[in-house]
Amino acid sequence: MGGSEPANGQVHGALQVHGTLVELTPLIRGVIAARMRDPGVVDDLVQETLARVMTTASRLDDGALAPYAVVVARNLVNQQWRTEERARRHAHRFLDPAEPHRPEDDVLRLEENQAVTSALARLSQGERQTLLAHELEGRATAEMAAESGSTTGAVAAQLHRTRAKLRVEYLLALEQSRLPSHRCRPVLLALSGGDRRRQRELDAAGHLLECQFCSQLSGPLLDRLQADNDDEEALLPIQSDKDVVVARQRGREIAAQIGFSPTDLTLIATAISEIARNAVRFADRGQMRIRTIEGSARRGVVIVARDRGPGIPDVQRALEDGYSTYGGMGLGLPGASRLMDELHIVSELGKGTTITMTKWCTDP
Amino acid sequence: MPTGNRSEGEAPISVSILRQGSYLIASVYAALDDDELGRFQRELIRQIMAFRSRGVIIDVAALDVMDSFGSRSLRDLAHMTRLQGAITVIVGIHPDVAFAMVQLGMDLGNVRTELGLEEGLVLLDDLTGGGRLSPVSRSR
Repeated sequence: MGGSEPANGQVHGALQVHGTLVELTPLIRGVIAARMRDPGVVDDLVQETLARVMTTASRLDDGALAPYAVVVARNLVNQQWRTEERARRHAHRFLDPAEPHRPEDDVLRLEENQAVTSALARLSQGERQTLLAHELEGRATAEMAAESGSTTGAVAAQLHRTRAKLRVEYLLALEQSRLPSHRCRPVLLALSGGDRRRQRELDAAGHLLECQFCSQLSGPLLDRLQADNDDEEALLPIQSDKDVVVARQRGREIAAQIGFSPTDLTLIATAISEIARNAVRFADRGQMRIRTIEGSARRGVVIVARDRGPGIPDVQRALEDGYSTYGGMGLGLPGASRLMDELHIVSELGKGTTITMTKWCTDP
Repeated sequence: MPTGNRSEGEAPISVSILRQGSYLIASVYAALDDDELGRFQRELIRQIMAFRSRGVIIDVAALDVMDSFGSRSLRDLAHMTRLQGAITVIVGIHPDVAFAMVQLGMDLGNVRTELGLEEGLVLLDDLTGGGRLSPVSRSR
């Protein structure tokens, strides 16, 4: 008798604790869900909290159980934040500025060269000359129009048609195949050029359903158009002054989508402008990737600028005000890091520089 | 990646420069890239000389970004016009742009600024004596 009583009491106590815990679960879930976005993470943390509360419950007064659970939940959330934060902060370290040389690269390049050559060969003499003059020699459409006695718009439209044709011929050459029917070519050209009127005339959608070959080939052609419409992320070439303006406008558009305030948008656009200008000035060419991120706790925009320039000899000094190697004001990097929430630089002499910067959206 | 808009090689820059009495009013109505900023500088300097202007107002209300290069170009431009004997007032800097410029660590030096075009004209009248007195003797 004397031995069984405390055992009974313990069982009773454990049941009570168990009951209280079940009642506490919604409260704990509420505390965590308010701070975390990802439902999977919320579940994990609720379970973890319950497990911890259960181990300590027997030592706690009943009234203290709820506040204790809330504190545990909050601590776990904070810990989770710190872990995510650390992972994100170090993410740029995984970025290797030098892309590894893969053995298949050469073969792929050779194939691609052959495909481009044979695609070019299938253009007419005039089309080829116009395209090469514009794309390779960099001649302006206005200048070319004046020479041939036509208008700028006509030359631009001709270039557009030629590019569309080149894309189709390139894919055909790459696949090393012939078109199954005489209807295929006009349909593919209309798709490649994004010419909706012509697509309707030809009933392009109907043809794609019937023709297995064209529906396969149209994949990459349409991908290109969709890639242009992708709003969440942009990959922009940074080679000239004009690209700097384009980059900051795109950055503003992308950041606006996740609800940055107008002031923040201006800060972001200014930072992009500074960084893109550096890439143009020091590296001649580079690229910039702008994308939004949604962490469990907050949203933000990440801008990664990469170039294959000479690299920055002293990153620490480059982040100090007034350090300039070209007689500028030395505001670019330190200024951008003040405008953004985070800015990391990975630079290798002679290989290039990668700058990753992040701005968090302040109002949830 | 093909870039389709090379045709704008020497296209007119997005700034209109109007002459009003002894003043020039330059309104920037779209974002300028570095090259266009340089051409704008040269064009303005040329017109000050041609019209013997005493004051210049640069209206940048349409600019959504003023980075270090843009700010410096404007400051340099104001100094150049000062050397020509004309006073430059920059008007219409957007509040967000002002915020970003300060964060960036950029300042316009001792270049005069005003809220808008109206205020800018009043300030110019004040500084140049309505365009009758020498701008240099009144400027500081």
